[in-house]
Amino acid sequence: MSPVNRIFYYIKKRQIYVISSLICALIYVISMVLIPLFNGKMVDIIKNLVVGDTTNEIYKEFIFTIIIDVILIILVLVFEFIFEYIVNVFVEGINKEIRNNLFTKLNSVSIKFIDSHAHGDLVSRCVTDSDNVNNALISGFKQFYQGLIQIIATLVIMFIFNWILGIVVIILTPISFLISYIVAKKSKIYFKKQAKIQGDMGAIALEDFNNIDIIKSFNFEEEAFSKYKARNDELYEAGRKSQFVSSLTNPSTRLINNTTYALVGMIAALLCALSFKSGNVILGASCTTGTILTFIQYSNQFAKPFNEISSCLTEIQTGLTSLKRINDVLNEENDVDEGTSLIDEKVKGISFKNVYFSYEPNQRLIEDFSLDIKEGQKVAIVGPTGCGKTTIINLILRFYDQNSGEIKFNSVNNLDIKKSSLRHTFGMVLQDTWIFHGTVLENIKYAKKDATIEEVEKAASRANALNFIKHLPKGFDTVISENSGLSVGEKQLICIARVMLVEPNIMILDEATSNIDTRAEMKISDAFNKMMENKTSFVIAHRLSTIRNSDLIIVMNKGHIIETGKHDELFAKKGFYYNLYNAQYSK
Amino acid sequence: MKNAYYYLKHYKKELILGPAFKMLEVVFELLIPFLMSYIIDTGINKAISNGDYSSIYIPGIIILLLGVLGFSSTFVCQYIASIASQGFGTELRNAIYKKVTGLSLREVELIGKGNLVTLITNDVNRMQVSVAMMIRLVLRAPMLIIGSLICAFIIDYHLAFIFLEVVILISLILFFVIKQSSKRILSTQKSVDDLVTITNDSLSGIRVVKAFNNEEYEINKYKKQTDDYYKEMKKVTLLNAITNPVTFLIINVAIVLVVYFVGSSTIQGTGLSSGDLTSLISYLNQILLALIVVSNLVVIFTKAFASKKRIEKLLNLEPSIKNNPKYKDLKVNDGETLFSFKDASFKYEEEDNLVVSNLTFDIKKGETIGIIGGTGSGKTTIIKLLERFFDVTSGEILYKGVNIKDYDLNSLHNEISLVNQKAILFKGTIESNLKMANKAASESEMIEALKVACAYEFVASYEDGLNHKVEEGGKNFSGGQRQRLSIARSILKNSETLILDDSTSALDYLTEKNLRYNLSNKTELTKIIIAQRVSSLVNADKIIVMYHGRIDAIGTHEELLNKSNIYKEIYESQENK
Repeated sequence: MSPVNRIFYYIKKRQIYVISSLICALIYVISMVLIPLFNGKMVDIIKNLVVGDTTNEIYKEFIFTIIIDVILIILVLVFEFIFEYIVNVFVEGINKEIRNNLFTKLNSVSIKFIDSHAHGDLVSRCVTDSDNVNNALISGFKQFYQGLIQIIATLVIMFIFNWILGIVVIILTPISFLISYIVAKKSKIYFKKQAKIQGDMGAIALEDFNNIDIIKSFNFEEEAFSKYKARNDELYEAGRKSQFVSSLTNPSTRLINNTTYALVGMIAALLCALSFKSGNVILGASCTTGTILTFIQYSNQFAKPFNEISSCLTEIQTGLTSLKRINDVLNEENDVDEGTSLIDEKVKGISFKNVYFSYEPNQRLIEDFSLDIKEGQKVAIVGPTGCGKTTIINLILRFYDQNSGEIKFNSVNNLDIKKSSLRHTFGMVLQDTWIFHGTVLENIKYAKKDATIEEVEKAASRANALNFIKHLPKGFDTVISENSGLSVGEKQLICIARVMLVEPNIMILDEATSNIDTRAEMKISDAFNKMMENKTSFVIAHRLSTIRNSDLIIVMNKGHIIETGKHDELFAKKGFYYNLYNAQYSK
Repeated sequence: MKNAYYYLKHYKKELILGPAFKMLEVVFELLIPFLMSYIIDTGINKAISNGDYSSIYIPGIIILLLGVLGFSSTFVCQYIASIASQGFGTELRNAIYKKVTGLSLREVELIGKGNLVTLITNDVNRMQVSVAMMIRLVLRAPMLIIGSLICAFIIDYHLAFIFLEVVILISLILFFVIKQSSKRILSTQKSVDDLVTITNDSLSGIRVVKAFNNEEYEINKYKKQTDDYYKEMKKVTLLNAITNPVTFLIINVAIVLVVYFVGSSTIQGTGLSSGDLTSLISYLNQILLALIVVSNLVVIFTKAFASKKRIEKLLNLEPSIKNNPKYKDLKVNDGETLFSFKDASFKYEEEDNLVVSNLTFDIKKGETIGIIGGTGSGKTTIIKLLERFFDVTSGEILYKGVNIKDYDLNSLHNEISLVNQKAILFKGTIESNLKMANKAASESEMIEALKVACAYEFVASYEDGLNHKVEEGGKNFSGGQRQRLSIARSILKNSETLILDDSTSALDYLTEKNLRYNLSNKTELTKIIIAQRVSSLVNADKIIVMYHGRIDAIGTHEELLNKSNIYKEIYESQENK
């Protein structure tokens, strides 16, 4: 879907808002445009009032005009309010739907998409970009509806009443539109530059303030400051220019307004005098004192919609850019789950046959990988960083699919199995702990929403987490998040408790205990061992001592399996594993 | 007490000249309706009675000229305002940056690093805008209102009271709306923050979300949040939607009232001329426009004052660590005591518990010291005390025989080289990162340091070698590479003491072994190594075993196996059974 089609799709769903806001706009804008006309009329009537006489036609007309004026004012009040409200509710509704669609999309696309995009960028599409679209829609609807109707209605009325004065107003106001357009365009260049420098400076400040201990320990304060100051000086130049240029909009509009005002006043006065003197209407343009007042007000009002439309053009531009960014995400293919089979029995065997996989087409990673795992086996994968250990886990859980070759569960091809069913079979604790903003209880129950508090406590206690959780200010109800001051080890314990709660069929531990000190780790691994009893498990471990009891150790290097076997066999072989092991425990 | 507006001191001239030019424009603008009134009353009559059109076109041309003059003086004012406000912002940013880097860690942690960045960007921007507005609008808008009121009183004393009432009424309404909506804006801001949190959480945990098949749950959580936001916005909208129409109502009702009273008094024979009536209506419109500006100003200044408070709080902080250099560049010989902890205890705040307590030990020049212990046992705190990022709460630390508080902070930091846990690199190149430690380092010195840190191999594999780009935080390097580069940086510093704070954890065992070997050849270097692995420390001259903020035991590897149960447990958890 193209960005424009996308936005029309959202708007179309809400036609009732579009139509009702149009009707409101018509009523209130036309009433607003008529008011100066009646103001002018009243001035003329006052001139003709007869002293002391309140019964004649003129006085009645005076009162009548006032009443009409008041009715018009009330119409503006009521319908402008309804209009503003409808437009805002309408657009906020679109905003909400866009955000919901975006978030749903992010949860439906492939992991590859998420991995290959900066998270900050995706978040800003959900928040900032949808806000920009929101602003563009609001001002688009307001300014275009209101502005266009106002321009057309004013034009019509002006020409009906005095075409000469109408022309004066028409010639001058677009000039003000042009000026504010040029100013906006010009200042945009400086604004862009300013935004870029500001972004850089924010990054520098963040980097420096976050690592202030390093800066201090290197006595690097002066140098760091001079780096910051250099950018700050650039910001001064760009900022001063953008501020100056953009601040000229209002004064230039005022200049044009004053010019129109003066010309309308002069020409109208001339027309009045001439027509009075000759007793005829000059060139079909009748003119009274009231006309002067009416046209002075029009000349002041007429520039406003032009200015607003020109400023809203820049907003619409920003909105379109943002809409494109949003649309790119929404157009992303969903990660379709073509699998239909369910894993309803215990997994008896997992086999890899000639599997090839790489993240980037021209970068080889897993090549010709074959392996058979039987039920109940404890499999350990070891090897240096970047050897492909984590990739194997990505393939097993179908976060990524192999490029070629077969992976089978109970002799069913992994591509035929429903992803949710496959993942349900596994429990995993990853290297990077994941804690979301919520209570400890919510975080643990994440694995099983209907778990009772007893079950949660039991899981926490088995993960050796109960002790520290009880010492948190509000125990299980303490709100935690990624940066809430829990140590990495404590966060890890909560993640472990989460998995303990479900007791899945197969366990995956990706260096799950690397951040806990070794004494605490001993206690956790006891719990793990109990949990992994009679279960198939995969452990990716850094510390080789923790996997010595595995049934099968797979030694990987550069995407290939180079050795497999039990600890003793591999140790006796004196190969790669032997060296790795010795490096770890030599003195 | 430092005032954030103190940094306006270089712009006194601008602060006076800017508003002065603006005032000229205001005076011109106030004159225009008078001239128009003259055209309508005198100009038309003269033209009719004796064909003298000069009373129409002369005031008309004067209005045109006043417009041009007004524009010119505003032009100057806006220019002055841009110089003063941007200059003020620039100086304020520099001042905040300097202040932050001059603070001690305690204060930085107290304010929060994220907050500091907001302070130096958003808060300064807000204050900068407030300076621009101070020059451009703070005088203009109220002067227009007061001026229009005065003119109204000159034209008609009685009618002017309607004006006064309108001003008061609209001010009250605007004040109310601003107060309500700024409250609402705060709460919607919170909703937006929550949206960001949920999105961030679920992106960073996408694997966990999918592994637990929790996509639906996440989506529903998010939908609930957008729904809350939607409801909140609806309330805000209601308030904002009413403001414009009501202001419009009041002004126009005022116009009708003026017209009505003029009409009634005309009947009594005391009416106003059409010209005066026209200018009264012009003044009313001017007041309306100016009041809207004022309400915007109130919002801008409320925000700016909140920012000002935050900035001033920072600017008035005193670093808790003060540099009182009584000694510097002291020399000690090999084997003499370098650091001496004497019953040293530390806690962050008065009401907190002690983080470390009663530490007593010596470190001699040239020794290799190991520190080991569980998470939260106080290992890193010892390093922070050694670097004097914090001062001890009780007891004392002697450095080279004198109290560390009397030793020059800069030379202390020069003499100690720290590799911390995070292994942070800064945006730039490998070379720029290495040169943080030693500006004058030659290429061969840098290569030598990289070799010692076992980093030369991968650096040499880059085509651009030392010029290879480093992104923010060094995120384009693996954890192990970052650790090796930051070790190289610290080695290049050529200090007397090298501290490795758990900074080899991401290295594979072979590389770590090589690194340890390379370091052991630097015999003149005092090494303090914090580690989780016993294997990293077995060769140390002394190992300090930390347990819950206290020293459990000090000794060599063999001694500790006999006398420290904790050490033994750690050792056994890592060794073959």
